[in-house]
Amino acid sequence: MPLYFFHLRHGPDPNGLAQDLEGDELAGPEAARDHALAVARDLIARVRLHAVRDWFSCTFEVTDEGGHLVMTVPFSDTVTEEDED
Amino acid sequence: MLSVWVIRNFLLIGDEDSCWDSTPRLSTGEEGSVPQTRQSILRNRLLRAMAPDDFERLQPHLDPIALQLREVVIAPDAPVDELFFLETGMVSISTAHDERRIEVGLIGREGLVGAVPVALDCTTTPHVFFVQLSGEGLSIGRDAFCAAIAESPALRRLLLRYVHTLIVQITQTAYAHASLSLEGRLARWLLMCHDRSDSDELVLTHEFLSMMLGVQRAGVTLAIQNLEGAGRIRAKRRRIEVLDRGKLLALTNGSYGTPEAEYARLIEGA
Repeated sequence: MPLYFFHLRHGPDPNGLAQDLEGDELAGPEAARDHALAVARDLIARVRLHAVRDWFSCTFEVTDEGGHLVMTVPFSDTVTEEDED
Repeated sequence: MLSVWVIRNFLLIGDEDSCWDSTPRLSTGEEGSVPQTRQSILRNRLLRAMAPDDFERLQPHLDPIALQLREVVIAPDAPVDELFFLETGMVSISTAHDERRIEVGLIGREGLVGAVPVALDCTTTPHVFFVQLSGEGLSIGRDAFCAAIAESPALRRLLLRYVHTLIVQITQTAYAHASLSLEGRLARWLLMCHDRSDSDELVLTHEFLSMMLGVQRAGVTLAIQNLEGAGRIRAKRRRIEVLDRGKLLALTNGSYGTPEAEYARLIEGA
C-alpha cells in the first residue's frame, strides 16, 4: 500500500507546518482523504494545544513518498461533509 | 518465561534503543560458583533502598531477565506470577481496551512491576503492563516475594510505600489529562521518561508518543514542534533530546514532581 504523509498546516509562515516524517499506509487517495478527515475530527473534538488557536483554520497537506502534494484537506471539510450526510 | 504479545496498532522502532549492551552485568559471582547479585551494584532504587537483610531474603530468588520492546510482562486478567525489579528500560501501565490504549502509569528503575496486585493481594489486574523501552531487570516469583514480605514488616512497608507513590503518579496522570494542553502533557511525559533514562536523548517515534498520550500523531508532531521552537527539546528523526528541564517543568502546572518527591521522601528518606 502507498505511504501518505499528513503535514499539518497551522500558520502561514514556514514554521506553521508540522512535518509528518512517519506517514501512514493507505489504499489510495480516497482512503488518505478519509484518514485525514478522521484525524481532523478527533483533534478538533479531543485535543487542546497552545500552538493552535482554532483547529478550523488548519489544513492537512498530504504528500506521497516522492514528496509530491497529493491533496489538501482543510479541517473545515469535516463540518461540510457531516452536514451533507 | 514471559509471554510475548505483539500489541495491536503499536508501531515502533527496532532494537536500536536496547539498553542491554550498555548495562553493567548483574551477576558478579566468581568463576565456578553460583552467581550472586550484589545490592551495591544494582540500579533499581527499591532494591538499593531496602535494608541489607531484606535484600538477602530476596536475593536467592532474583533472576536477571532481558525486557524486550513491546513484550507484555503482565497481561490483563492473567495471574501475576512474577514481579520485575527494573534496572534499565521502562514498562508502561496502560488501559487494555482495543480501541485506544492509553498509558496511565510508568515504571522504570525506581519501580517494581506487579507491586500493586501483589501488595494488595489480588491475583490479576485488568491493566496491561508492557515494555516501552527495552532494558533489563530482575524477576522474582510471587510466592517467594510474598514469603519475604510476610517475614519482614520493613519490607512490607517499603512495598506499600512504593504502591502509594505509584498511586500518586497515576492520580497526577489523571490531573494532567484533565487539565493540561497537549504540550504540557508531553512535557510531563518527557520529564518522567528522562528520569528513567541514562541519556538526554530519548529514542521514540511520534507514533509511539501518540499511543502513550492517547492523541493523533499529527497532534504530537505539532506539540513537539512547539516545544522545540521554545528551546525545551531538540527533535530529530525518531529521537528527542531534552535540552532544558526547567522550561519543560514550567509547562506541567504541578502535574510533575509530586510522585517524585513522595518517592524520595518515603522510599529514600530524602
